[in-house]
Amino acid sequence: MSFAERMLHIDRRIIFLLIGLCTLIPLLYPVGLAIKVSPEVKSVYDYIESLPEGSVFLLSLDFDPASKPELYPQAVALLHHAFKKNLRVIGMTLWLPGTGMASEVVSRVAREEGKVSGKDYVFLGWSPGGGSVIINMGQDLYKAFPTDYNNQPTAELPVLKGVQSLRDVNYVISLAAGSTGIETWYVFGKDKYKFELGGGCTGVIAPGLYPLLRSGQINGLIGGLRGAAEYEVLIGKKGKAVAGMDAQSATHFAIILLVILCNVFYLLIRTSKNRAEQNRS
Amino acid sequence: MNAERRMMNAWQEARGERLWEKIRLLALTLPLVCLSALAATTGIAAAQQALAPPQNLRVIDTPSDAGGGLTVLWSKADYDTPNVRYQILMLVSSTTVDCHDKAPDVCYQLLMDEGAAKRIEKRMVADFPANSHYVRDVKWPWWTRVDRPDVHQFNLKSGRGLEMKNGTPYAVTVAVVNGTERVEAPPVQAIPEPNWFNWNQINNLAIVVIFGFVVLGSIQAAKRKEIFLRRIPGLDAVDEAIGRATELGKPILYLTGAGDMSEPSTVAAAVILGRVAKRVASYETELMVPHRDPIVMAVCQEITKQSYLEAGKPDAFKEDSNFFITTDQFSYTAAVDGIMLRKQPAANFFMGSYFAESLLLTETGASTGAIQIAGTDSDHQMPFFVTTCDYTLIGEELYAASAYLSREPVQLGTLRGQDIGKACILVALGLGTALATASVLLHADVSLVLDLVKDWK
Amino acid sequence: MTFLRRQLPLLITLVAGLLFAAQYYIPHPSSELMLTSVSKWLQIIGGFALVLGVTSLFHIHAVKIRRKEPGWGYSFVLYAAMVGTIIAGLSPDWEQFFRAIIDLILRHKSAFRDVQWAAGQEIINGHMTPFGWIYNYMMVPLQGTMFAILAFFIASAAYRSFRARSREAAVLLIAAIIVMMGRVPLGEYLIPVSGDITQWILNVLNASVRRAILIGVSLGAVALSLKIIFGVERAYLGGGKE
Repeated sequence: MSFAERMLHIDRRIIFLLIGLCTLIPLLYPVGLAIKVSPEVKSVYDYIESLPEGSVFLLSLDFDPASKPELYPQAVALLHHAFKKNLRVIGMTLWLPGTGMASEVVSRVAREEGKVSGKDYVFLGWSPGGGSVIINMGQDLYKAFPTDYNNQPTAELPVLKGVQSLRDVNYVISLAAGSTGIETWYVFGKDKYKFELGGGCTGVIAPGLYPLLRSGQINGLIGGLRGAAEYEVLIGKKGKAVAGMDAQSATHFAIILLVILCNVFYLLIRTSKNRAEQNRS
Repeated sequence: MNAERRMMNAWQEARGERLWEKIRLLALTLPLVCLSALAATTGIAAAQQALAPPQNLRVIDTPSDAGGGLTVLWSKADYDTPNVRYQILMLVSSTTVDCHDKAPDVCYQLLMDEGAAKRIEKRMVADFPANSHYVRDVKWPWWTRVDRPDVHQFNLKSGRGLEMKNGTPYAVTVAVVNGTERVEAPPVQAIPEPNWFNWNQINNLAIVVIFGFVVLGSIQAAKRKEIFLRRIPGLDAVDEAIGRATELGKPILYLTGAGDMSEPSTVAAAVILGRVAKRVASYETELMVPHRDPIVMAVCQEITKQSYLEAGKPDAFKEDSNFFITTDQFSYTAAVDGIMLRKQPAANFFMGSYFAESLLLTETGASTGAIQIAGTDSDHQMPFFVTTCDYTLIGEELYAASAYLSREPVQLGTLRGQDIGKACILVALGLGTALATASVLLHADVSLVLDLVKDWK
Repeated sequence: MTFLRRQLPLLITLVAGLLFAAQYYIPHPSSELMLTSVSKWLQIIGGFALVLGVTSLFHIHAVKIRRKEPGWGYSFVLYAAMVGTIIAGLSPDWEQFFRAIIDLILRHKSAFRDVQWAAGQEIINGHMTPFGWIYNYMMVPLQGTMFAILAFFIASAAYRSFRARSREAAVLLIAAIIVMMGRVPLGEYLIPVSGDITQWILNVLNASVRRAILIGVSLGAVALSLKIIFGVERAYLGGGKE
């Protein structure tokens, strides 16, 4: 077996080790390169900036702990921004496994910003049904969620004063890791009840949401850890997303290097095979 | 003589110069004079206009809605500029006038009676520049437009502080404001009512009905004559995969994806399972079908049982071939990876919709040396399937797979119907792009055609 | 019997399918009310499906344990984990619970009404419940670990399969490299234009191709839905042709 063939059949654990080191070392020794903000992330930021104080902002944390590394920083950045703008924040989730995490992030960020549950924000929790929940909320929010996650009656909460249904919400953002997510919120929510909708998602599903972005069905898109880092830069509060960018840079370059190497070895093998065939003939 | 001539020449020259001077002066001052005249005229005209109230003001129930909405219309005016503003005012009465069983105009009159009039306040519900909010700006198709494109239109909708109940008359007026000057039109009234049909979506309904007829017609045509289907390499490999598994004496693993029975990809996966199970039954190879959804499991169990029956091997059918693992994504993935590593299936089929678990499943399967055939409409996972599987059915090839394997007229006819639909969309795309481009270049209004293909969802 | 297994489900599918297809075009509140009611039914049926799933899980692993099939130990672990989590999710605040027992024994006073039950909550009054402990220290890290494995698998799959076997594959490779560079700060630092090219690839090339796939898939979904509504496609009922 030639060197090129041996390299092409290298034990995958060596690749795993390389990726592991590329992730770990930048986390321990960060570089801190500048992050350019993309228009789709800026659109979300600008829309929240334009909302007057007291506007109703609904954040649907539609992800489970598996997607926490990418979507949790997005949630933190958005909540910090919303609370700083003194918006009335409604948190909820359509994914059962993510309920605990969603409740924790909303209450933690609210505590940091000095906000009071029931007065400045509410976490509604989870309700089964996905699209059905959105339809029910669009008709009557209090019937869809008679109590919040802490079993407080929603009809008595000051933060929900004047909010009868989704029609009274100024801006909805769905942070989605798959389905049920942004498309569900559009089909069952925005299309029927005409509120403004933005999106945040994992990096892998972001390209699939660009048609919705280009057609104006969502007004902005925060894609993956990179999107979260851009948002942190915009609000001036750098956190885990920005910290993760160095590791992501190193990993991407490691994969690029691996791909280039495998193609070099592949070409070497192909060339030597062609040469051998020519010599034979 | 010469002196006279010289004097004459000098005089003529001077006269020419003076004339030229006059012409030059006139050329300089004439525009200024014209401008001043124009300004004066405009000023006079503007002074003469002096803000007339909005003309032809009327309010109607918003058509094709669920109620709780009114549409206010009024004619354009000469003073429609960014400096002038329109305000929509709703007359709100704090008195309780009983309007039960009374005609709207009688009720309104009661409201406007002397006693009640004192308790009427005008609440401003909208305020915008006068050169905005026309019929042409509203996103309604041309067949539901309520007036000419240059007429002002504003839609009032219940919600966000404004409440309008169905069956209750509401009085509305429009005020025009220019600096300190303000003029209002006489109030008009209407009753919001819910409608039974959304005429804005009639094109969507027509297209669905037409497409339905095309599909059903194609199915009928497929029953009468042979329909050509291009070769789908992934499906040709199904027999090869099953044969290989039989030779090696190893089981076949078939996954139906993450979706439930409401998803077309899961239905397609279940249909393909029926075909695969029939071939597997005839070879008496072991089939393993782990599930994420209990209802899908129940359906696939029935399908597999029927397939074994049709293959003439009912005794070979195992109840446990279809089994439920868990609904949780990564727990299911870990369990299936474990099955792959322990049971070492020779062929893996990944049909249906998938998410992040796709690469975990296919990479583990690749490490065991199994032949892998995938079919999914999850476009975000396609790159992973393409790189790790031997054959991949992309998007509608998954739906076509059922027709390809069975050659049933129903399935083939549906495919033909879909292809006709796609061809129509391609034509509409080309025509729409050309018309939209032409409308920009020639400043023409082509909404007559473009609205027909609007909102196809 | 055939009527109950075949004709009746097909009739229900036809009526319900046509009704809810028409519902989209009827804005009247009665139509919305019907949709809301049915949405609530869906939520209830979803709950029953969960019961079905859990029952099936219990049954399968019970058989494995009883027959001592290979890997039955894992089934036992699954049982223990499932039952343990259910108990933890329904358990009371143990401190309050034992205090209530002591009150009952020593002071003959029943304070069980004041005992708070976890009821599936992770935090109550600022204290983490046992269920919350299981969620935060077992489920979250385990799920995160599974998702994190993807990064390693992507690298090994890319090394194994991303080869320029043809011209199209070479174009795909170059586009992938540009996008990978453009999406990280290091790539934009080294080649500033890579960010703009990435944006163009995502907004123009990617969006148009995704739209094309979406149109094709949507047409397929519409056709399949029409076939199911009109009873042309019956595979979902189980069994083959009649």
